[in-house]
Amino acid sequence: MKPTLRIVIFVGAFLPVLPSFGGARHFTFLYEANTSAPGSLELENWVTWRHAAEPGRFDQVDFRHELEYGITDKFQASIYLADWFYRSDPEHSGFTYSDTAIELICNLTNPVVDPVGLSIYGELRAGNRLIELESKVISQKNFGPLILAYNATLESVWEGSGLAEREGEFSQALGASYEISPRVSAGIELLHEFVFPEWRDRAKIRNFFVGPNVSYRHRNWFVTITALAQATDTQDEPDFQLRTIFGIGL
Amino acid sequence: MKKVSIFLGLACLLVSCESTNYVPAVTSQMATARKGQQVDLAMLREGRRLLVHRCIECHTLPLLWRYRTEDWPGIVDSMSHRSSLKPAEREAIVAYILAVRFAGH
Repeated sequence: MKPTLRIVIFVGAFLPVLPSFGGARHFTFLYEANTSAPGSLELENWVTWRHAAEPGRFDQVDFRHELEYGITDKFQASIYLADWFYRSDPEHSGFTYSDTAIELICNLTNPVVDPVGLSIYGELRAGNRLIELESKVISQKNFGPLILAYNATLESVWEGSGLAEREGEFSQALGASYEISPRVSAGIELLHEFVFPEWRDRAKIRNFFVGPNVSYRHRNWFVTITALAQATDTQDEPDFQLRTIFGIGL
Repeated sequence: MKKVSIFLGLACLLVSCESTNYVPAVTSQMATARKGQQVDLAMLREGRRLLVHRCIECHTLPLLWRYRTEDWPGIVDSMSHRSSLKPAEREAIVAYILAVRFAGH
């Protein structure tokens, strides 16, 4: 039996008996420290549009379909069933499957009652001539209706023929979200990337993005949207990114 | 001087927000705060733990005196399914909220 078919049968068999919702996101480029309730299952669909103007013009739309499951009060696991994208540039355009991944998040402290809420995050991604490891420290503090979050992320990528091409990236993201009403939040996200091709910093690639976010949640679903503009002037990087995450409890 | 003022202003803003972040620790006073009713302290501690873990998955915590006492069971009940709360857990959260209110925190 094909692995994809096995996954479909597994998910199909368990969906009817799983009860509820993993939780709503207030950010799309940051993670929050809290983890999903034990036994909850949620499907999240990510769509990210990246646009770069001349020179090096391209438009790319990335798709991700993620199943998130709460294992204990402080531990959750996710499967990215598929990451794929559509890219259009002056030379070609088309759809490409990118990878499949697993993600684990362990919560250490609570953002309400502890001085800072902390979680650690690990992700393993595998695709066609691609292996990626990502680890993250997630911090968050809730001040009444205001949520402040900070993520520090380290990525290692091996790709290409024989996985011979290597790249590292360190990124940090800062976000604030204010709850206007129990259903609506709005805020800001900042993303600062340091890219290390071949694990070297010769090229001094630094990218900085900033922009607003808005989140709406109701019953067992939510949608969160962030628009980021590049504040630096790095070619090959998008000038503009728009990310939407739509989550629904299963 | 201007930067210091901005920093102090932000700090005051955060402190004022923090003061609304009020989820007091369980005390023995809370167990007997409601006249004629004795509540189990372990249940109240569990209610507080669940409140600060489960409820913030979707929204920040509201002021516990924002809604009327009689409204709280229905409010918690309306969200219990999506936050995977079992009946006993739902009762523990409501018991904690009401205990805080009756204890006058």
